[in-house]
Amino acid sequence: MNTLDKVKNLKETECIVDLLLKEVRANQCQTCGKCVFGYEGITQLEMILSDITEKKGRSGDLDLLKDLSETMNTQSLCETGSEIAQVILTALKIHSAEFEEHIGKKGCKAGICRKFMTFHILADQCTGCGDCMDACEEDAILGKTRFIHVIDLDECTQCGACINACEEDAIIKAGIIKPKCPKKPIPCKR
Amino acid sequence: MNIIIDGKEIEALKGQSILDAALKAGIFIPHLCSHPDLEAKGGCRLCSVEIDGQSEAALACKTMAKEGMKVTVNGVKAEKIRKMAMELILATHPADCTGCPKYGKCELQSMYQYLGVSPQRWRKKSRIVANNDSNPLVSHLFTRCVRCGRCIRACQDLRGVKVLDYIRTDTGICAGVPGGKTLKEAGCRFCGACIEVCPTGSIMDQVKIMKEDRSYTDNIVPCQSTCPAHINVPQYIRYIREGDFDKAAAVIREKVPFPETLGSICNHACESVCKRSELDAPLSVCKLKRAAAVNESGVWKEHVRKEPATGKKAAIIGAGPAGLTAAYYLAKKGHEVTIFEKNEKAGGQCRYGIPSYRLPDEILDREIQTILEVGIDLRTGIPLQTPDQLLDQGFHSVLVSIGTHKGTRLPLTGSDLPQVSVNTDFLKQARQGETIYTGSRVMVLGGGNVAYDCARTALRLGAKEVHITCLEDEQQMTATPEEIREGTEEGVILHSACSFLEITGIDKVEGVEIQKVKKFYFDDRRKAVIELEEGTNQVIEVDHVIFAVGQKPEGTEEFGLELTHGPYIQVDRNLNTSMKGVYAAGDVVTGTQSVIAAIAAGRRAAEEMDLYLGGDGDISEKFLDEEIPSPYIGRMENFADQPRMEPKTEAPKLRTAGFTMVEQPFTCQQARCEADRCLQCDLRLQLSKPKLWNEY
Repeated sequence: MNTLDKVKNLKETECIVDLLLKEVRANQCQTCGKCVFGYEGITQLEMILSDITEKKGRSGDLDLLKDLSETMNTQSLCETGSEIAQVILTALKIHSAEFEEHIGKKGCKAGICRKFMTFHILADQCTGCGDCMDACEEDAILGKTRFIHVIDLDECTQCGACINACEEDAIIKAGIIKPKCPKKPIPCKR
Repeated sequence: MNIIIDGKEIEALKGQSILDAALKAGIFIPHLCSHPDLEAKGGCRLCSVEIDGQSEAALACKTMAKEGMKVTVNGVKAEKIRKMAMELILATHPADCTGCPKYGKCELQSMYQYLGVSPQRWRKKSRIVANNDSNPLVSHLFTRCVRCGRCIRACQDLRGVKVLDYIRTDTGICAGVPGGKTLKEAGCRFCGACIEVCPTGSIMDQVKIMKEDRSYTDNIVPCQSTCPAHINVPQYIRYIREGDFDKAAAVIREKVPFPETLGSICNHACESVCKRSELDAPLSVCKLKRAAAVNESGVWKEHVRKEPATGKKAAIIGAGPAGLTAAYYLAKKGHEVTIFEKNEKAGGQCRYGIPSYRLPDEILDREIQTILEVGIDLRTGIPLQTPDQLLDQGFHSVLVSIGTHKGTRLPLTGSDLPQVSVNTDFLKQARQGETIYTGSRVMVLGGGNVAYDCARTALRLGAKEVHITCLEDEQQMTATPEEIREGTEEGVILHSACSFLEITGIDKVEGVEIQKVKKFYFDDRRKAVIELEEGTNQVIEVDHVIFAVGQKPEGTEEFGLELTHGPYIQVDRNLNTSMKGVYAAGDVVTGTQSVIAAIAAGRRAAEEMDLYLGGDGDISEKFLDEEIPSPYIGRMENFADQPRMEPKTEAPKLRTAGFTMVEQPFTCQQARCEADRCLQCDLRLQLSKPKLWNEY
């Protein structure tokens, strides 16, 4: 399937921004350098898309992507540059909501962009053993023995060490829909 | 045909791009990747323009002009493309313009200032590439590369050397040498075209090559600019490479009337600045000149300037290289020239100073004969006359070019002993074949080429053992390395960095006492300071001492001219002496220099005297039709490893048996091989220099 078809037939498990970033990174323009819009264009696309996947998107980025892609489309020396520009333009048209969600820091619906994921400890699974607290290098987990542990989302870096440490499978990743969890450690029910 | 740009009708040629036509007509259209001498590629998009009847913007560099075409440079569409392109380039280009060696001369800097854009709305990225200063001639700073490809097109297509290309680095694509090779390994011919066409500071001449006190052109072709007579060195080397010795000789003859003399004995300042020395060894420029001179057939003679008689008379005092050169050019300007020479023969130091094993009489006779053929009255064996006497005899102008023929005898204990000679007398008498006293063990005092001339002459006159003592160490000595080497080969024993204290002996020379020098330098007042090493005294037993510690003019105090530094003649910038109509040139003005400097001074004197005599002062000659050398030099295997050619020299034993010439000229084949080593620095000057917008 070519890139344009992938964009048009995006699966629920795929994130459009992540998919475009991967396509841009693998694009031939990266290894050529003979024209400004091909080479500098692909460089900008990569940097902007990468920022968006990392929750660093800026409010003007959609306009910037559009402006750049429209010019890249007509001003690249060969079709490689035009084709990727057209892919971006198509994606912006049919997946604008997903872009907006990323840039508005709301989340990544497909759960692909790690920076948008949050980690949670399920109250009915946690035994209050403290293993996750020991594993957390950021000291982002609150709690004490036999109290349900709570992840401080402001401190959490989404490293995933706690998930590996938890033998009860009480820790999960969440995208746009978040589970209900206690705000503060409370005694364990189990 | 005519096209209209921004409402202005301009002329365009068939097959000419809109960009070229506009720039030719003085209308500026921004551009970066295009260069007048390279094929347009259209990568930078800065030259986008709008053409009536076309919906999209077009590239001025790739669109050919058509009759009646209407072009708008700053339309909305074109401006958008142009500005975005520049913003994108700037977004990944280092922002520290002031720290860049190209600051103020950079096309990118000039272009973005013209467009008034900044990369503010884009993401920034630095593509750092390690600077490469490992090559002694070319500096690579590809962090500043904008991938315009001009250097690559220049190297690949224009020069055919095919060394530079786009390469991948950890931080992106830039111009460079593929495969991690050095320029030398990749077959670079160091022509400098890449440097010349780079719009930014990515490829630069190494800083030490570009001397601040020289013009750009002089820095690019240092051999020609350093030569006192400014002989077009790269041009004659090119003709030698092509095997055209006639044309090569004609190029040399355009500037000097002594090609073979210079080819034999020139001090070749050109070689010391040859850029190839930075790679291995300089071109053998001097010996190539000799090869051209010995293989030419004289076709240049057809083109010699010969102006009608002016009725003006010029007198030249002294028939050395300066006097003969001035006479030669003055005679061709139609003046009646008479040379007065004290000695039996013309030639000056070339005849009476330089030994015949370096410059035989036959060469000098031949070249002087050619000079005299233009119609000069040479009177030899005439006692010295003063300038005012000559003016009184009806000469309208006089040149004093009597050189420095009086050797210096230092006031050392024993210096008045009968077996003590001075350089000038000893060499002159030897050259004239007179019987002169030569000891069996000889000490020459002095460290220049003349000291070696004396020492090697003494060997040829039968001395068994010859020493040279000089204050300077071997690096500081003014003798050329070749002289030192050839002297050593012939058995000369050198005591460098030694002071000579006294000449021992009561009625005859018995030895010279010398002592090691610890330090020797000139102080703030340019006075020599010598510190000696205690306990290093020794007496070298000799029976003959020759002073070779300098020489000066003789008889100038009788001339009624203002003098300087003792016996030297004071002149102004135009070689005027204190007496109207009297000029002076050569060693008598400058002190002992070189034959080429004397020839250059002779030319200057001829120009000034011609002006004084009512001429236009133009003595220049063109012996060849203008030929533009091909910019395509192609690849040459192992170019940087071609060793400097050495001509055949006689074995030292055979040399010292007589006064035959030490060195053979290059064979034609050797000369062509040596000429092949030339970097052809001058080709760079052919390349167009793009004008910046503020120059339109």
